[in-house]
Amino acid sequence: MNERKMSNSFKSYVGFEDHDSQSLNTSGDDSFTELNPRLLPGEVVIAEAQNVLLFAPVSEQKQGKSGSLSVTNFKLAFVTTEERPKEESGQQNLLLGEYEVCLSNVDVVYQLVGDKKRRLTPGNNVTGKVRGLHILCKNMKVLSFSFKFSPVGHGKNLTNALLHHAFPRRHQLLFAYDYREPYYNCQREVCSFRGLADWERELLRTGCQGWRLSAVNQSFQLSTSLPQWLIVPQEVLDWQLGDAARHFRGSRPPIWCWGSSHGAALVRMADIHPTITDRVKENVMLENVRKSHPQRRQPVLLDLSKDFPSPRDVQISYTKFRELCAPESLRLFWIQDNNFFSLLEGSRWLQIVSVCLRKSIEAAEAIQRDETVVLQEGDGRDMCCIVASLVQVLLDPYWRSLRGFQTLIQKEWVVLGHPFCTRLAHVFSTESEQSPEFLVFLDCMWQLLQQFPAAFEFTETYLTTLWDSAHVSVFETFLFDCERDRTLATADPNNRLVLRSIWDWGEQFPEQDIALFTNPLYEACSHSQPKELLPHGGLSSLSLWRQCYFRWLPLLEIPGGGLAQIDLHHRQLSAEVAALQRGESAPEQTLTQVGSFFPFSHGITRPGALLASSLTLNTSFLPGEAFLDSQSLLNAPD
Amino acid sequence: MDSKGSAELLNSETNHSKHASSDSLASDSKSSSLNSKLGQESVSSGKGSPSKSYCSSSSTSTENVVSTLESKIKGKTNLSESVPPSRPDDPPLLPGEKVQGVAREVTYLCPYSGPARGVLSVTNYKLHFRSMDRDTPYVVDVPLGVVSRIEKVGGASSRGENSYGIEVFCKDMRNLRFAHKQENHSRRNVFEKLQQYAFPLSHKLPLFAFEYSETLPENGWTVHEPIAELKRMGVPNDMWKISKINENYEICDSYPTVLAVPAQATDDDLRAVAAFRSRGRIPVLSWIHPESQATISRCSQPLVGVSGKRSREDERYIQLIMDANAQSHKMFIMDARPSANAIANKAKGGGYESEDAYQNAELVFLDIHNIHVMRESLRKLKELCFPSIEESRWLSGVESTYWLKHIKCILAGAVRIVDKVENHKTSVLVHCSDGWDRTAQLTALAMLMLDPYYRTIKGFEVLIEKEWLGFGHKFQHRIGHGDDHHSDADRSPVFLQFIDCVYQITTQFPNAFEFNDHFLITILDHLYSCRFGTFLFNSDRERASEGVKQKTVSLWSFINSDLDVYRNPLYWSPAAYQQVLVPIASVRHITLWKGHYCRWNPSMRPQDPVYQRTMELLVLKEQLEKLTEECKREQQSRAARNMATPPRLASPIRN
Repeated sequence: MNERKMSNSFKSYVGFEDHDSQSLNTSGDDSFTELNPRLLPGEVVIAEAQNVLLFAPVSEQKQGKSGSLSVTNFKLAFVTTEERPKEESGQQNLLLGEYEVCLSNVDVVYQLVGDKKRRLTPGNNVTGKVRGLHILCKNMKVLSFSFKFSPVGHGKNLTNALLHHAFPRRHQLLFAYDYREPYYNCQREVCSFRGLADWERELLRTGCQGWRLSAVNQSFQLSTSLPQWLIVPQEVLDWQLGDAARHFRGSRPPIWCWGSSHGAALVRMADIHPTITDRVKENVMLENVRKSHPQRRQPVLLDLSKDFPSPRDVQISYTKFRELCAPESLRLFWIQDNNFFSLLEGSRWLQIVSVCLRKSIEAAEAIQRDETVVLQEGDGRDMCCIVASLVQVLLDPYWRSLRGFQTLIQKEWVVLGHPFCTRLAHVFSTESEQSPEFLVFLDCMWQLLQQFPAAFEFTETYLTTLWDSAHVSVFETFLFDCERDRTLATADPNNRLVLRSIWDWGEQFPEQDIALFTNPLYEACSHSQPKELLPHGGLSSLSLWRQCYFRWLPLLEIPGGGLAQIDLHHRQLSAEVAALQRGESAPEQTLTQVGSFFPFSHGITRPGALLASSLTLNTSFLPGEAFLDSQSLLNAPD
Repeated sequence: MDSKGSAELLNSETNHSKHASSDSLASDSKSSSLNSKLGQESVSSGKGSPSKSYCSSSSTSTENVVSTLESKIKGKTNLSESVPPSRPDDPPLLPGEKVQGVAREVTYLCPYSGPARGVLSVTNYKLHFRSMDRDTPYVVDVPLGVVSRIEKVGGASSRGENSYGIEVFCKDMRNLRFAHKQENHSRRNVFEKLQQYAFPLSHKLPLFAFEYSETLPENGWTVHEPIAELKRMGVPNDMWKISKINENYEICDSYPTVLAVPAQATDDDLRAVAAFRSRGRIPVLSWIHPESQATISRCSQPLVGVSGKRSREDERYIQLIMDANAQSHKMFIMDARPSANAIANKAKGGGYESEDAYQNAELVFLDIHNIHVMRESLRKLKELCFPSIEESRWLSGVESTYWLKHIKCILAGAVRIVDKVENHKTSVLVHCSDGWDRTAQLTALAMLMLDPYYRTIKGFEVLIEKEWLGFGHKFQHRIGHGDDHHSDADRSPVFLQFIDCVYQITTQFPNAFEFNDHFLITILDHLYSCRFGTFLFNSDRERASEGVKQKTVSLWSFINSDLDVYRNPLYWSPAAYQQVLVPIASVRHITLWKGHYCRWNPSMRPQDPVYQRTMELLVLKEQLEKLTEECKREQQSRAARNMATPPRLASPIRN
């Protein structure tokens, strides 16, 4: 429907394919010089293509913008001469413009051949002429380009550069190693859990007895994927731990990650090594866990490899799910719409979210009964991260603040060794183990935000931004597989790697965007926050995170509607309340309207624009004929 | 208002509305503690109204306030109402309500919390069960109007616990099972009383609405004044006039007495057109655009038949409607049906306008299915949602009912009408076969999207009075008030579907509506309850001859006497908000209304509905504003005092 909207910013090139000879009107050679992308310190242009068309999303390649396209060592950048209207309300990224994506975000590259598209293999060179590219990003953004009007060879060169640089074979080729902007760490709030003090403080804060800090992994000699400081059962001696660790996959014996003041703890461990048949060492360790409970209670063992999807299952599910969020044509969009629910069920995405929530609820309930819970899974680095984080969020309000949540991710994901580099495929490998498990976790968090709208200090916009940021290769937080890799990378004298934390949001966004991360209800309703949350985890209680998944489809954006309006309303109300509490009179209500994907609207709906006249509903909101025709065509129930 | 007063208010009507709609879970500690907590809060703040609105808005009407308020309810009933309960076990009664039968030692088989033993009472209005074996009593309270079918379960030879009893099938997505002890011989009496009072018309008894005698401060029967509503839209004007030709229902017995028709149409024209339209339902004005003068009109199908009959008068009349809008030389006729159905109707003498006969008119079929398809769809939906939900097949299960697809189709149709009227400034004529089901859905939804007035509480009431009741949606036949023909082919959830579509638009535009979900659910509850006269009978003519306005209470009297409960805290006044709403008719945005269809299932209730938090903020803001106001006044009066009696010693601080 919102195709018409796009016409504000997208020129129509209806049927341009039919007029081969008619070349596109560009403003002459001198404009080329102005069409260079803005570069960061250390960033260099690798390839460039002129007179490129960027198609509007799901526009059937009928509408687009013209400009130049470049591949740098950091990003894929489209620069256009066609000016956007000035009033910007969307999120402003200081590192990436609206038509730019970080190379780490590029997932699949297709070559457009006639009506078909052919998937290109990373690293391989394209030899023939390239007329168009269709690029699918890891955050579901879609970019379609045509080189039809580009000088000969531009398309091919750009494609080859992209296939080479977006899929680096070595970690050192990531942009973080080249970035030359000086960095002064401005964030002191989030504990990194790299040093002893953070763990000590956490043990003290939770008041959990029966556990101690161990330096047994000081130089990663016990396990390469665990941090240097570990919290282990009081009774276990370091040499016993070292001896037992060898029996576990990834040498990951039971490690404490959280505890209640009553004594029940949350413990993570890997499976017994597949070549080892007897479970003696496992039993010994579990016995130690039992003894760490003040009442010596038998721990509850939750086997997360049993009912849970493997990383591969998650990736398959995500790929299917993405087809529903990024359909390549309007026609496909409406065909999918006809049986959307069974397609969604077929993708299994929500089922995965549901099983993570339900298992976490089960674990949280056990801890509420004062039973220690041991999470066990393959290497203990995937589902363990999801469930351990969720359990803590459900039981401990400390993690529900923005700072607390970031600290939790730092602890359960970053330091305890979720293989981010592998799962987010920052480095290319033919045996890809790519899997967006972090997104599963963020989706679970979003479901909790829906069920408890005042319990968290952060917003869905924050969660969406976090997912986007995981694919920006400037920040170290989600760049490595484990602490050891990080330590080695910084120690290498040949590479001057600066550790830039993702939690330092000022590096990426201006103040007004960071302000949208905080939930206005959290502060205002702090008096009535429950200590423990018990959500519904069943599939029928879940909904779709439209902001994150549908935001690239302008035709699904509701002008002046959706959750964004509710958030805005609360922001205004709480600002008024705050002013009154300071003894000032409430500020004049200036009601603005935003699109439902705000702040991820793509120049489609701007606040204020809708207020211009009483009946602003001019062509911009209403479906174009094409939309309606296809809609009614496919509407007919069978 | 003092805190005692607030508690009173809280009970008076809210508990009745709760009763109407709650399969109350007294043991639902979460909701009751929430209520009591909020109650306390507002008591301490010394304000009456917030507590009232909290409790009801907390509801989607489902959770039980009864338990926490039990004692107060009794106090209230004893104190002020005309009908004090005759026995201690008696349920709280409405004015005009009488207990007809009581059975003890009955077990209610709750699908969620297991069997509960207690007392079952039947009145001329409701079925009331109250448990005796639990610490916090468990109450089930169902207006008998909701019942569609009652069956005996088990016979004399039944063995096993709870295998002998009664099953009650309801129109509101639930069934109830009661087990009786065979040796008590209580079942027969209960069964008979239930049959009598659930289906009074089949037993020559009056509907409860004619016995209900409550006096409410507001009079809902005056909400919709047809002429005033037309004047609001600027009619009569140069092009449209108000006609009284149907004053005695002579042209059309399912239309209202006041009609707006093209100014140039004579009474003879109207009679001729009526002869060519099914059941005399001629094209009349529903809505006119305040600026472009593009209109939405409605009618029934033309009587074309297999031979392709034409009517010069009808053709000219349609041309008059088109000419009344100077902005466009074209007009759209939206036929709500699938084209196959429209063609099939020719065999029965009906059909659709041929574009040859109606120059400049473009015919569009909107592909909305008929009442039988919709009834079947809802039946499947009930199977899916009640009593328990199969989680693993939930999504494909929802899809297989087609319910949301039908909703999408209706919304898409209304969006098309809005597009033509608003963007193309073109008039639209809407019909289906008779023009009282799908047509009402489409015109009412299009008007709701186009005109912010209908998004207010009063405006929405007017919309229902006008487009549904006035134009003769056959509520009696579609709902089957008080009769026992549960499998009657005339029954269909057409109005429910409309309310569901409204719900969908409210979720897409949370700031656009003055009313909340609870308002919509209350309307649906009383669509069936037969407590109010509003939805009784099939047409204005029938309601007039039965004296409904004189003998019964309007649902709008009930709602308008307690408006705060139905207000949406997120509402922005139309001055600040967009005038025209265009919802996105994609299944990606349409969701199952769990707050309504799954509301009997306690595990499907929202934990912390966001609008409750909005209410908290609003209340806080009000308190602070009042405080600031008081401070200011204090300061002013102090300043005034100081002026009057200047301090004898000049204080250096003061100055």
